[in-house]
Amino acid sequence: MKEVKITIDGQEVMAQEGKTILEIAIEAGIKIPTLCAMPELGFTPGSCRVCVVEVEGAPTLVASCVYPVREGLIIHTKSERVLQARRIVLELLIASHPLDCMTCEKNGDCVLEDLAYELGVKESRFGRIERKLPLDESNPFIVRDLNKCVLCRRCVEICNEIQQTYAINFGYRSSKTKVIADGDNGLRYSECVSCGQCVAVCPVGALIDKAAQGKGRTWEFTKVKTTCNYCGCGCNFDFNVKEGKVIKVTSNPESVVNGINLCVKGRFGYDYIHRDDRLTTPLIKKNGKFEKASWEEAYQLISDKFTQIKKESGSDSLAVLSSAKCTNEENYLLMKFSRAVLGTNNVDHCARLCHSATVAGLAQAFGSGAMTNSIKEIADASAIYLTGSNTTENHPIIALEIKKAVTKNGAKLIVADPREIELAKYATLWLRQRPGTDVALFNGLMNVIINEGLEDKEFIAQRTEGYEELKKTVLKYTPEVVEKITGVPADDIRKAARIYATAPTTSLIYSMGITQHTTGTDNVLSTANIAMLTGNVGKESAGVNPLRGQSNVQGACDLGALPNFYSGYQKVTDSQVKDKFSKAWGVDLSDKVGLTVVEILNAAYEGKIKSIFVMAENPAMSDPDLNHAREALKKTEFLVVSDVFMTETAELADVVLPGVTIAEKDGTITNTERRVQRIRKAIEPIGDSKPEWKIICELSQKMGYNMNYNNPGEIMEEISQLTPIYGGIHYNRLDDGGLQWPCPDAHHPGTKYLHKDKFSRGKGKFFAVEFKEAAELPDEEYPFIFTTGRVLYHFHTGTITRRSKGLNEIYPEALVEINPQDAEELGVKEGEFVEVASRRGKIKAKVQVTEKSGKGVVFMSFHFHEAAANLLTNSALDPVSKIPEYKVCAVKIQKIS
Amino acid sequence: MTKKDIAQILVGIDGNTVLSGARKIKTKLITEINKQGLLDQVSVIETGSIGPVNKGVVIGIYPTREIYGNVTENDISEFIQERFIKGRPYKKLLLPEKLPIEIDLTAYDPRKTQYFGRIVLDNCGKINPEDIKEYIGVGGYEALGIALKEKTPEEIIEIVKNSGLRGRGGAGFPTGLKWSFAAKAKRIPKYVICNADEGEPGTFKDRLIMEGDPHKILEGMAICGYAIGANTGYIYIRGEYQLSIQRLKKAIKDAEKLGLLGKNILGTDFDFEVKIKIGAGSYVCGEETTLLNSMEGFRGEPRLKPPFPAESGFLSHPTNVNNVETFANIAPIVLNGAEWFKKFGTKDSPGTKVYTILGHINRPGLIEVSMGITLREIIYDYAGGISSGSFKMAQIGGTAGNILSSEFLDVPLDFESLRKLGYSLGSGAILIMNETVSVVDFMKCCIKFFVHESCGKCTPCREGTKYIYEILDKISSGKGKTGDLETLKLLGKSMKDTSFCPLGQSAPNSLLDTLKLFPEEYNQILRK
Amino acid sequence: MTVKDIVNKYKNKRENLLLILHEIQNCHPQNYLSKEDIELLSKEIKIPVSDIVGTASFYSMFSFTPRGKYIIRVCESLPCHLLGAQTIFKAIETKLGIKEGETTKDGLFTLEGTSCLGICSVAPAIMINDEAYGNLDEEKIGKILDQIREKESKNND
Ligand SMILES: Nc1nc2c(c(=O)[nH]1)N[C@H]1C(S)=C(S)[C@@H](COP(=O)(O)OP(=O)(O)OC[C@H]3O[C@@H](n4cnc5c(=O)[nH]c(N)nc54)[C@H](O)[C@@H]3O)O[C@H]1N2
Ligand SMILES: Nc1nc2c(c(=O)[nH]1)N[C@H]1C(S)=C(S)[C@@H](COP(=O)(O)OP(=O)(O)OC[C@H]3O[C@@H](n4cnc5c(=O)[nH]c(N)nc54)[C@H](O)[C@@H]3O)O[C@H]1N2
Ligand SMILES: Cc1cc2nc3c(=O)[nH]c(=O)nc-3n(C[C@H](O)[C@H](O)[C@H](O)COP(=O)(O)O)c2cc1C
Ligand code: SF4
Ligand code: SF4
Ligand code: SF4
Ligand code: SF4
Ligand code: SF4
Ligand code: FES
Ligand code: FES
Ligand SMILES: [Mo]
Repeated sequence: MKEVKITIDGQEVMAQEGKTILEIAIEAGIKIPTLCAMPELGFTPGSCRVCVVEVEGAPTLVASCVYPVREGLIIHTKSERVLQARRIVLELLIASHPLDCMTCEKNGDCVLEDLAYELGVKESRFGRIERKLPLDESNPFIVRDLNKCVLCRRCVEICNEIQQTYAINFGYRSSKTKVIADGDNGLRYSECVSCGQCVAVCPVGALIDKAAQGKGRTWEFTKVKTTCNYCGCGCNFDFNVKEGKVIKVTSNPESVVNGINLCVKGRFGYDYIHRDDRLTTPLIKKNGKFEKASWEEAYQLISDKFTQIKKESGSDSLAVLSSAKCTNEENYLLMKFSRAVLGTNNVDHCARLCHSATVAGLAQAFGSGAMTNSIKEIADASAIYLTGSNTTENHPIIALEIKKAVTKNGAKLIVADPREIELAKYATLWLRQRPGTDVALFNGLMNVIINEGLEDKEFIAQRTEGYEELKKTVLKYTPEVVEKITGVPADDIRKAARIYATAPTTSLIYSMGITQHTTGTDNVLSTANIAMLTGNVGKESAGVNPLRGQSNVQGACDLGALPNFYSGYQKVTDSQVKDKFSKAWGVDLSDKVGLTVVEILNAAYEGKIKSIFVMAENPAMSDPDLNHAREALKKTEFLVVSDVFMTETAELADVVLPGVTIAEKDGTITNTERRVQRIRKAIEPIGDSKPEWKIICELSQKMGYNMNYNNPGEIMEEISQLTPIYGGIHYNRLDDGGLQWPCPDAHHPGTKYLHKDKFSRGKGKFFAVEFKEAAELPDEEYPFIFTTGRVLYHFHTGTITRRSKGLNEIYPEALVEINPQDAEELGVKEGEFVEVASRRGKIKAKVQVTEKSGKGVVFMSFHFHEAAANLLTNSALDPVSKIPEYKVCAVKIQKIS
Repeated sequence: MTKKDIAQILVGIDGNTVLSGARKIKTKLITEINKQGLLDQVSVIETGSIGPVNKGVVIGIYPTREIYGNVTENDISEFIQERFIKGRPYKKLLLPEKLPIEIDLTAYDPRKTQYFGRIVLDNCGKINPEDIKEYIGVGGYEALGIALKEKTPEEIIEIVKNSGLRGRGGAGFPTGLKWSFAAKAKRIPKYVICNADEGEPGTFKDRLIMEGDPHKILEGMAICGYAIGANTGYIYIRGEYQLSIQRLKKAIKDAEKLGLLGKNILGTDFDFEVKIKIGAGSYVCGEETTLLNSMEGFRGEPRLKPPFPAESGFLSHPTNVNNVETFANIAPIVLNGAEWFKKFGTKDSPGTKVYTILGHINRPGLIEVSMGITLREIIYDYAGGISSGSFKMAQIGGTAGNILSSEFLDVPLDFESLRKLGYSLGSGAILIMNETVSVVDFMKCCIKFFVHESCGKCTPCREGTKYIYEILDKISSGKGKTGDLETLKLLGKSMKDTSFCPLGQSAPNSLLDTLKLFPEEYNQILRK
Repeated sequence: MTVKDIVNKYKNKRENLLLILHEIQNCHPQNYLSKEDIELLSKEIKIPVSDIVGTASFYSMFSFTPRGKYIIRVCESLPCHLLGAQTIFKAIETKLGIKEGETTKDGLFTLEGTSCLGICSVAPAIMINDEAYGNLDEEKIGKILDQIREKESKNND
């Protein structure tokens, strides 16, 4: 870029030609007011005209936010002509504006107000014409008062260009211009997904967070920067705290992962923190009823019981379920508690139900089981193969990157998913496979790639092993054969294969549609196969990218809440490792691989496991085949649950301990791209509740093991010493955007993408895998495939989202998604109720007729206890990773009249 | 003229005459001629606007050139009798105007060009606009042939540059220069766009050109396409202009059939197709970048410049936008040369200008006159003088234009002379008003137009028009207050200084002019 | 033609959106863009409803409320204004008993104000659907409307 010399307010400055006057002014320390522009998001419509400046020789004033500089410009930003023009613009704006700053939520944080102050504008000399538009309060989260709208269009921009929901647009023209939702209805009745991005960028009080209305003025809030505790995207935001209460969440453009973006849960779904049914004291069940107890009583009872059971039945009759909802430090402590205090490796957590197949599969193929690349790299991929991930609902912020890749950067997207998910709209190709047939599909793709000579021969030769065997296997899977198995047209398979193999970088993204099968590990191995075959590992914007689900499921695995690993995937069976931990913790440790989640419950059912400590998990809703799982929990001799609410699992417990939410504690969590980030205490624990790390320490003390930390930072110091991949993680390094592991030492910058020149295991290994059918297929009696998953507005077992007022209002009940053809055959209509039954149980739920489900496939979420999908699911396990087959079982459906 | 006719009857079919029943008259004429056994002697031909407007159905006779107006069905029988059997003019309906004749332009004083010696309207009322053969018969598509076969694109641009032609859409930008920008742009495909949105109140010249001589526009566009390297042209016409749309559609089809549009035009390797886009009722869509948004199917809001259309226009491709009248000048220029063209008009603004003259005058209508002619000449030589009362003011260039009061009657109307006064020539509408017009009422109506037509994108125009109207309304209803005129002036100036696009920048033109020229009138009302 | 046919006719292209909207509106017996049609269009052409309505509502020729078979558009721009457009407007209002933007009970006429129609030479002017009428006065307007009514009642017989 050429440097040019310009004069701005008498000051000569060198500037890059083509930059805007506004940019140069900012660089030169000159403030020009703006209203419509959001240069940080690349949005400068030049429409508000507040930023006008005088350029000598130009016939009119110019808008500095869009006017490019060139050699010799002489610019005045503060001449009387300029100030006068700005005042007029402002007076025009406020002439139709309801000046009720005194009660306006935006007061104190309002650009219009600031402008009026700065320019000394008290009132408009032009008179007053009120717009008299009705308030739009239809959306549970957002109040729209378009009388205050200054028509800057920021909301439309972010909704359409970044969020890409297209719920709103500018409508009408002239002074009738206004922001319309859909065909000018209430926001609620539009496509709006309530992400609130529009609220975040609105410069005035036209868009307001409904729940925070009347709860505090901007200047009364303390902002505490933290990380979202819902999904694995790991968005950052600020809790706005007033008088010990979290009033609302706000986002800011500085966040590394998400910028100003958040999804509906992150922005509006934290009201559960102050629900009055929070657990506030320890509870002990006496004669079948919970009674309030002191911490001392509770600790004493737990300590006694655990000690007794350990003595009577041995350490391995005890088990611990850790939590992806708790911090890294807490997971570390709980697995330490299990191994060092209880003496058992029977420690696991919900990752088992989720990405255990990933950990098992990718560890075999690459040597480490995590997302190979970073979230931000997705936008620059030339092709994306998205499979088994309903990204817009479950990883909404990552979905934004995918949308950006397709719509802004021209990436080709292949969606392979049995459901017509939102991203199918963005796809070059959408492959609708029969659920449970991904191995065949991948083999078919690889068959085409090899047959057409599109494989990356050099990569295969230099960086991998096992290719010949793979080749032999996949050559059997011609597109025609695969079409028969999967239902995907052979030609689409060919097209997809070509795109995958020929794009300069192809990023494979997957989630539960791949892992939650009895063939989960095979599926994952297949993802690794195709990525290596095409040389798409170890480079930017490519890779194999499992999207981790829970906010800290990556961290819970990293920190060893797994029956076979200590922290950092160090094997319990490795004697050197065992010795290291023995020494550090000062106890003897077991080298016997422990039981996994479903195995623990099965063992409990059989009476082999006598007692379980469950920290922030809800297996009585989330495990497959609930009748069986609940029975197992009931059968335990002694069940301890710590949680923030009385969950289905807690109901069954003998002792319930009140934990805290992320607003009430410090710590770190690790998102799906291996980024370790801080959460920060914003408020004091509610009632008598305690952060889990404290509970574990105090319980250990009680049981005679010395665990003593003043704060989570100290725990992290211990972690970094014992865990090579976390070796360089220290709290003082985490303030700006966290660090991505592997981060071996204090000077290491963290790792953006894995396996750059070398796989973690040395050479990448191909595994030839054959297609196998799911464990239970539809038959005459149970003719439908039942598949389960999630919806945007709810999280898992619903314990927190269903306690969020807005979330529950917008999505209040369980729906069974049925294809229109099936619905017709069943004689049911949208909104009617059906009974869905499998061999294991039955539920009643409302029908939603939708093309989203293919014929013969019904979908349900597992968020609703009134219609718990897991009463129906199959507990058949993947033999390697022990993940249950949540995605396929057989059901029958009956209309209820 | 085709058969061994002794006479041709031209029936002017345009938006104005059709509603007086011109089509029926045409049929009736044929029936009557048939009845009288005159079929091989008199032919009936449809043509565009013959000239006189506001005179019902207008017909003309060649070769005698007389024109009849307000023709009704009841007249026909008698008319045929009188005119063709008895062979004398039919006095009852005879008008003073005459049909144009072809004359040697070099021998003619180009300053007076009303019904003869025209460039743009040359064929209007002379040929049947729906018959391509007639257009070819008067030399149509010859210029295209010359361009494609004898000239390089660079030479064409040079000719247009040398002719000094300036855009007739209002801004007066040199056409040749504009073409050279688009020619230089690298990206393909490129587009030629004919701006036929014509929404400026009081302007309908483009409509009459399209209705009267559609092929001339197509030929101009094709030459432009050749010059800048574009193979596709679009005509963006406002939705109300149904007859123009029909005629252009037919013209395109006919030209394609004869290989004058489409692939391999005239056997060369130049391809050019023309398509039609229809507006949907928005004045600002005539602004070229807004037009592009509208053509792409978006809201009619202007785009930021740069980039200019020549660099990134329709679908982000290099695009050249010209007005209908501008294109209509191209074929004659290519045919007759730049020097010929410069004989008309003034040094800075060569050529002719088509005006629509309206208001309190005796002969409202369409005229094509030399650039540089004065308002006085227009009113008294062409418009037949003020119809009642005395001249008060004229608004030139439509609602967005400027106000000329009597002291400006002798200012030459051309781009430069007006620019020196801080005015612009605008679209070609001239609205002449007598002393009965109240300035405040007049301004209210002007501004109301912008209140409707502002696109709403930028603050000064969206809100400014609304408040100007509000203040004027208060003044006119006796609720004005001292200081209102100052406020209006300030607001008007501010809109000019800060609006995003020329609509907002020009909307207060007439307001500021009248405040300057007729302050007393405003004050009088205020004082009441 | 169905919405689908119309979209196909225009090759499913955004650039043809205005043409498509014109045609959909013309095909509707009540001369407007119905919610159903817009939703169908959105699905076919894959443009979000907010975008279609945002675009269509910009242009004065599109309507979102049912209109009469005949849409009377009275020019309100200067040349017509100076020559009595307001009288014409009032005359129509009185004659039909409706105000600007309203439709007669029989569903025959809708009255709208509009900017210059480009037929100012015959000011004051109006358009009724695609037909233009000029040099109007109260009497002429009355005749024109009567003629249409008459024609319609004949059609109905
Ligand atoms: N709103 C919300 N977000 C969440 C969660 C939540 O509960 N609510 N939970 C978080 C957690 S822990 C997780 S693990 C993630 C899960 O995130 P996802 O994996 O995206 O969630 P699911 O809804 O389980 O569905 C995965 C997709 O797999 C598809 N699928 C089903 N069967 C098959 C198959 O056989 N093959 C393939 N290829 N695809 C199939 C489904 O159609 C669905 O689109 O979401 C996280 N984010
Ligand atoms: N049918 C079916 N079942 C499935 C799946 C499926 O796709 N289909 N997916 C499986 C998957 S992938 C997963 S990850 C599991 C999830 O299974 P679970 O982890 O059992 O489900 P959650 O509801 O997330 O449970 C987390 C618990 O943590 C508590 N909690 C929430 N926030 C906090 C906090 O800040 N602090 C503390 N202390 N506690 C908190 C909640 O109250 C809740 O009880 O479900 C599995 N079950
Ligand atoms: C509000 C507005 C309306 C306009 N309307 C028209 C129009 O209807 N026809 C036209 O040719 N130019 C119109 N213009 C001018 C165009 O922007 C553009 O300058 C012109 O089409 C270029 O053609 P020319 O160079 O041949 O004059 C308008 C400009 C503005 C600002
Ligand atoms: S939006 Fe701003 S200016 Fe308007 S009332 Fe609220 S605080 Fe005041
Ligand atoms: S909340 Fe999100 S989806 Fe809804 S209108 Fe705002 S930006 Fe669009
Ligand atoms: S609602 Fe807010 S963000 Fe949207 S246009 Fe109005 S002022 Fe701007
Ligand atoms: S995308 Fe995930 S991490 Fe981000 S705000 Fe939503 S739930 Fe929270
Ligand atoms: S000046 Fe502004 S509001 Fe007016 S038409 Fe131009 S962009 Fe639209
Ligand atoms: S900030 Fe520059 S025009 Fe709005
Ligand atoms: S002003 Fe009425 S039609 Fe032009
Ligand atoms: Mo998960």
